[in-house]
Amino acid sequence: MHEAPVIELGGLHIDLSIILMLVVTCTIVFVIARLATRNLSVENPGKLQNFMEWATEFVQNLISSTMDLKKGKPFLSLAMTMIMFIFVANMLGLLFGVVTEYDDPAKATVFGQEITSVTKILTEEHAKHPGEEAHAEVAWWKSPTADLSVTMALALLVFVISHGLGMIRNTKNYFKHYVQPYPFFLPINIIEQLSKLLTHGVRLYANIFAGEVLISTIMTLAKASVVGAIFSVPLLMVWDGFSIFVGAIQAFVFVILMMVYISQNLETHEEEH
Amino acid sequence: MEIVWENTVIALIAIGILYFLLNKYAFGPLFSVMEKRRELVQQQLSEAAQTREQATAFVEEQKAALQQARKEAYDIIEQSKQTSSKQAAQMLEQAKDEASRLKDEAVRDIQNEKNRAVEQLRSEVGAVSVKIASKLIEKEVSEEGVQGELVDKYLKEVGGRS
Repeated sequence: MHEAPVIELGGLHIDLSIILMLVVTCTIVFVIARLATRNLSVENPGKLQNFMEWATEFVQNLISSTMDLKKGKPFLSLAMTMIMFIFVANMLGLLFGVVTEYDDPAKATVFGQEITSVTKILTEEHAKHPGEEAHAEVAWWKSPTADLSVTMALALLVFVISHGLGMIRNTKNYFKHYVQPYPFFLPINIIEQLSKLLTHGVRLYANIFAGEVLISTIMTLAKASVVGAIFSVPLLMVWDGFSIFVGAIQAFVFVILMMVYISQNLETHEEEH
Repeated sequence: MEIVWENTVIALIAIGILYFLLNKYAFGPLFSVMEKRRELVQQQLSEAAQTREQATAFVEEQKAALQQARKEAYDIIEQSKQTSSKQAAQMLEQAKDEASRLKDEAVRDIQNEKNRAVEQLRSEVGAVSVKIASKLIEKEVSEEGVQGELVDKYLKEVGGRS
């Protein structure tokens, strides 16, 4: 399996590939959004503006399907940011991969910094099988959403926003909801909320990560032999197509769940099932 | 797969910055433009409705004006018909009067002329008859005097009877 290029900087573990991919994703999203809204026109919108407005209306419909649009309007920007970020992030891992291989712990450096994740693995390998050649591969280019830390960050953000809004704007109903229908349901309700946080993040991560694993597996097959290379081409085409579909669906699912969670915590009437 | 909390923090920061930038430079203007377009469409719709209302009112007005004009035209025709028939009657009356007047005049003229002719004839006949008579009875009847008067009287009697 591919390792992450982690360096230690002032006691912090910095994952360079995550930083790189986050920067790339944010840049792409911002450039697309900026290009689409560069020449805004009320009466004669350009193609990109039309596309962006279509996306906005799509997200608006998505919000209005979970809550009153008046209440949901402040979340439009957030939902747009989320859906664009997640979609672009999901797509990035499909294009290509950048992998570096290391055999010698001394050579595993970047910008003069030791890649601790690689050296750790190499020394472990050496310890397990002394005398054998140790080997580690580092993936530099991958979907940022194929990392659990990142998807949990997104889920955590949604969790904090939805529960924060619930506590501030809907205090009475929010807290009452934890002891519904009976007070002894309190632990169950808390577990439910926590499981929502967990599944929200893990669902996205697992889908994208699985897609990337299969792509790298097919790549391994392609490298193995000539027959494998021939077989891998249609396989890769099919799986890439499916991954695009999955990536789009997961972005959609993530955002609609975000709106559902927010609307649940803002609900004034009890409608728990 | 382990969670590296530094990654989580970095991802949160990245999303936060992206949200801020997009909100400020892309979505804010986009949403305001969409809102403006919505307002524009609303305004144009209401304007169109207003224009249609105006058009309907205008057509109604036109219809009323046309009706009025038609009525007036009818009135004028009626009036002129009346006037013309009256005039015709008047003219006919006048013509009749004129004709009768002319006829009367003519009759009177004829009468006068006849009277004059009769008068003339009478005097001539009188004179001629006197002449004839004097020629026939030269000595018995003199031209002047009682005999002439007698003849005149007689002749007048004859002329009056005719």
